[in-house]
Amino acid sequence: MAKVKIQGHASGTGILTVTAPNTSSDRTITLPDATGTLLNSDGDGSSLTGANANRPNANPIVYNGDMLIAQRSTSEAGKTGSDYYTSDRWHIRISSGGTWTITQSTDVPTAEGFTSSLKLDNTATSTDAAMRVGIRQYWEGQDLQYLKKGTANAETITVAFWVKATKTGTHICELSDSNSRHCAISYTVSSTNTWEHKVVNFPADTSGVIDNDNSNELMIMFFVAAGTDYTSGSLATTWATSSDANRAVGQVNGADSTSNDFLITGIQLEVGTYTSATLPPFQHESYGASLTRCQRYYQHIVEGNQKMVGIATWANTTQVNMLLELSPTMRTKPSVDYTTGTDYWTISGSSGSDGSYDNVIQNSWSTGRNQHLWSNTGTANGTAGYANYWFSDNASAKLALSAEF
Amino acid sequence: MFKNCTIKYAQLDGINVCIRVIYPDNPDGSHRELSVPLDEENTDYQNIQEWVAEGNTIQEAD
Repeated sequence: MAKVKIQGHASGTGILTVTAPNTSSDRTITLPDATGTLLNSDGDGSSLTGANANRPNANPIVYNGDMLIAQRSTSEAGKTGSDYYTSDRWHIRISSGGTWTITQSTDVPTAEGFTSSLKLDNTATSTDAAMRVGIRQYWEGQDLQYLKKGTANAETITVAFWVKATKTGTHICELSDSNSRHCAISYTVSSTNTWEHKVVNFPADTSGVIDNDNSNELMIMFFVAAGTDYTSGSLATTWATSSDANRAVGQVNGADSTSNDFLITGIQLEVGTYTSATLPPFQHESYGASLTRCQRYYQHIVEGNQKMVGIATWANTTQVNMLLELSPTMRTKPSVDYTTGTDYWTISGSSGSDGSYDNVIQNSWSTGRNQHLWSNTGTANGTAGYANYWFSDNASAKLALSAEF
Repeated sequence: MFKNCTIKYAQLDGINVCIRVIYPDNPDGSHRELSVPLDEENTDYQNIQEWVAEGNTIQEAD
């Protein structure tokens, strides 16, 4: 540097003061190599464009972006269809896309503070034109109103994540909404099987208003593989009416070898446009906080032998009623998702009105807050009005509630 | 989506209260089952309606 220049206004005095300097050693203050305004001690931060400048919500938009929560399972093999398999809230899309093992992996970027990733391991290949393999998450419209989508003040969006893929080259990250609009941005995996941090910028969309309710209004998808049905057009790099051919143009085929893996973690979605230099840090949540957020969509109740579910009462000699109070309240009235067989569930206690049964039926009175379940397929030795413990009675028994998209 | 599943209503006091989706048996004799509310906001219910629109029929309750 040739010189340091401090220029005052035409009149008055500008004073640069170093308060209580330590005369025994130098103090170095590094100014940015740019023109701008430094923040005053009483400044409101409105001039900042960097960290935490535009987070209107205390919680991350992305659920379980660090893949820490996996209520259903930590590994599922032989999957050829779409479903939620391991990491909560992350829906695995497999359509004409071969066979995959999905795992909550401990393979993570070094020293970045993550302990889990979501891994897709190809075990049977595909080159089908209709192939779609990817990882996606849906969000409720009432949680996204501050994106101001469909208005003149619509916000731009930045998506950032860590990815490790066997296949190098172009990959696609796509946003799509309930108005059949989408936008797809490419990024490049440079080195095989190496963790890389990616930052992807989406433009604002002044069309396609997001409904203010609990329905699925916006979805993100990270493509792993796509057939020509989805790659034959021109990539939709600006928001437009959805067209399959424009969804994943350039996407490498991650399903063309059983050696292929695709791992991802640290997924964040920020309001505004950021670079890798200005991106706010990933918002780590405690395990409990992240689990509670995920339980709005899926609640794992019990799994395995002799696990307590709650209290059941006999309505008559054959029918038992069970009440489950849900916390937190689920997105909507959930499905009861359970694994059962003959006498997998038992009602037993000191009253003597013991019984076993194998189905768990949901009554129409149930809500996203309380579930009334009943069964009448078991033993017929109950006494009306008696109450007993209700628990699982087989190692394969499993009971969960799902209000997912 | 519901390949080889049995899909039928469940009744309580003569009224349909939910839809049962019974998956094929696992090797250990267990099976997965969904008890799906008659609620248009529920994704499983929406999927069943798509399945019906494809020409399938929900069985009456036992």
